[in-house]
Amino acid sequence: MALFRNTSIINFCKTYRQYSVLCKKVNTDLCYNKSCSVIVNTQRWLFWEKDRKGGYNTEIKMSNWEHLKNGYKELKKELKLFGQEVKELFEMDPVLIARPGETDVVWCFNDPSVLDKFVTTSDSDHNEGFSSCSFEMSPAGRGNFHGYLDTRVPKDGRIKKAGYCGIRSKIIRKSFKRATTYDWHLYNTLVLKIRGDGRSYLLNISCEGYYDITWNDIYHYVLYTRGGPYWQIAKIPFSKFVLGSKGRLQDKQTRIRFDRVTHFGISCGDKIDGRFNLEIEYIGLEFDPTHDEEFAYEMYRTDKYIVGV
Amino acid sequence: MMATKILWNIMKTKSSNIMFKRWESSEKRVAMHDPFVTQPKKNKKTYLEVIKMFEDQDNRRRGHVEFVYAALAKMKEFGVQKDLEVYKALVDVFPKGKFIPQNIFQAEFMHYPKQQQCAVDLLEQMEDNKVIPDTEMEQMLLNIFGNRGIPLRKYWRMMYWMPKFKNLSPWYLPDEMPSDTMMLAKLAIERITSVDPDTKVNVWQTEEIEVSLDKTWIVSAQSEAQKILLSEQPIDEPLVVRGPYDVYLRDQIVTYFLLLGKTRADPKDDRDPDDVSDIEKPPGIPGYIGSTKLPAVKCTVHEQDDGTIVSVCATGTSSRDSLLSWIRLLEKYGNPILSTVPVIFTLTAPPNDLSIQETQPVAQDDASEKTKSNE
Repeated sequence: MALFRNTSIINFCKTYRQYSVLCKKVNTDLCYNKSCSVIVNTQRWLFWEKDRKGGYNTEIKMSNWEHLKNGYKELKKELKLFGQEVKELFEMDPVLIARPGETDVVWCFNDPSVLDKFVTTSDSDHNEGFSSCSFEMSPAGRGNFHGYLDTRVPKDGRIKKAGYCGIRSKIIRKSFKRATTYDWHLYNTLVLKIRGDGRSYLLNISCEGYYDITWNDIYHYVLYTRGGPYWQIAKIPFSKFVLGSKGRLQDKQTRIRFDRVTHFGISCGDKIDGRFNLEIEYIGLEFDPTHDEEFAYEMYRTDKYIVGV
Repeated sequence: MMATKILWNIMKTKSSNIMFKRWESSEKRVAMHDPFVTQPKKNKKTYLEVIKMFEDQDNRRRGHVEFVYAALAKMKEFGVQKDLEVYKALVDVFPKGKFIPQNIFQAEFMHYPKQQQCAVDLLEQMEDNKVIPDTEMEQMLLNIFGNRGIPLRKYWRMMYWMPKFKNLSPWYLPDEMPSDTMMLAKLAIERITSVDPDTKVNVWQTEEIEVSLDKTWIVSAQSEAQKILLSEQPIDEPLVVRGPYDVYLRDQIVTYFLLLGKTRADPKDDRDPDDVSDIEKPPGIPGYIGSTKLPAVKCTVHEQDDGTIVSVCATGTSSRDSLLSWIRLLEKYGNPILSTVPVIFTLTAPPNDLSIQETQPVAQDDASEKTKSNE
């Protein structure tokens, strides 16, 4: 009986502490090539969320021995990273000011290795649609997010709408697989150099928190592209981003916690069937001293129990 | 004993008879009547007529939820999915007053949930089709569901967000896209070349060139800077016509082509002695995340990394012959260098036959049809 209880506790740890080192689950963010044929289902949880991925089965099953071997391989890298972190702790002073008007590049897609920091997703990955996409180097030597958007709905009687493709940055970690976040509090503008096809795309900044209600918090803004062969630089103040949860805009809007940014992503889902093509040269950050707006959306006082319920 | 047997027989025959009758009637006598299907002409007028018919049928509006869902599904067929008036007529189908909650418990626990959900789905379809509701609709919804209704919340959210995002795009497009392909191509080329305000967009006819086979139009754009860049191209190096590329104007796709030249060599040593961007950041000075060096940029917008963009065009047929006519027309209107410089056409064939996946396995007759069309 005691043994049984023990295993159940271990199972509990495995299921609910996804980011723990002890946990055997490997996030598919790291190896996304696996084709998953059966999805469990997307249940709506009324009071609490069990799973960060909302029921989408993205884990890879692995034997204990395999797990041990992988862990041993990782150990060397992690120790190296840890050493670097300790060194930085002694050497570095905290970053205090951003230089106005200068762009600091977070991702520059001139190098194929940078593309590996992103994961692509589309509805066909979970058998929920027919769109497909990939993120590769373009002939001009930049990151190219392209694919085919298809709004046809699979005839399974469960799905109402379909048609999305997206890229998202992987989870960033400190040594020994500890999760961390991006700290962008110095900046107030997002800068992208892109070359699109006239479609509008959606920029997503995820700010996942500790509690389950914040797991799906994503700040959105539209990225309009001109189309054509010329590059364009889009500068978007962070104050313009709107808060949504699971894609629904929220009634009570707040601005981004810049020091808690967990993912950055771009998605395409403008309900227009056809090929899409977005070339990205870099994604950067800038501090614009002339932009003193904190949050762009005004809130109104309403009757009780009308807003946010 | 005998009596029970007889009784049993009577019951048996009767019940089977009834079963048979029911089965028979379900097979033959119930006729499906869908007024949306039987309409001979599918337009806004007939759509509104069907709604009127339903309203007149029954005082109590029985089955109005089912009717609204059916009507929403048929909107695209009638071509009215972008029409506010039609949505208002559909909202008008809901009976007024009955669904307004009378006490706090009704208000809290979603009074008449099916009806409210139906109205929310209607509003969502409006949102998906980019139709912004008006204040009259608010009044109608208030009369139906009261100010505690879920559809009202949906309405207020829509009225908060939709006008905010309506005119956000920096590239203006008219509400009604032109149906003429040439006007559409002109809009697209104007949008592409809006980087250089100096650009002139010309519409030429290929009839001007006698030897051209395709008689069609060409929308071509070139700025003064591009003319100079073209005239400075080396004569022995060929220019390249590249395409077709797509540009989207809402849901309309326009195909365009580029005339690319070589990029000029970097100027040798004219570095600004006061330029500090190249200095390595000394260690110990805090202040950046990632890297501070941006990729280099050429001095004119037309010099991109694939080459110098000398001109952009869209033609009526997108054929090789029309592009040849475009080069000749460019030569005729102020680019005499094109008579001497060779031009290479590197056109990738458009992928016409996209493989389409199907949820259901393809039926036999479908497959045979495909082979027929191939023959």
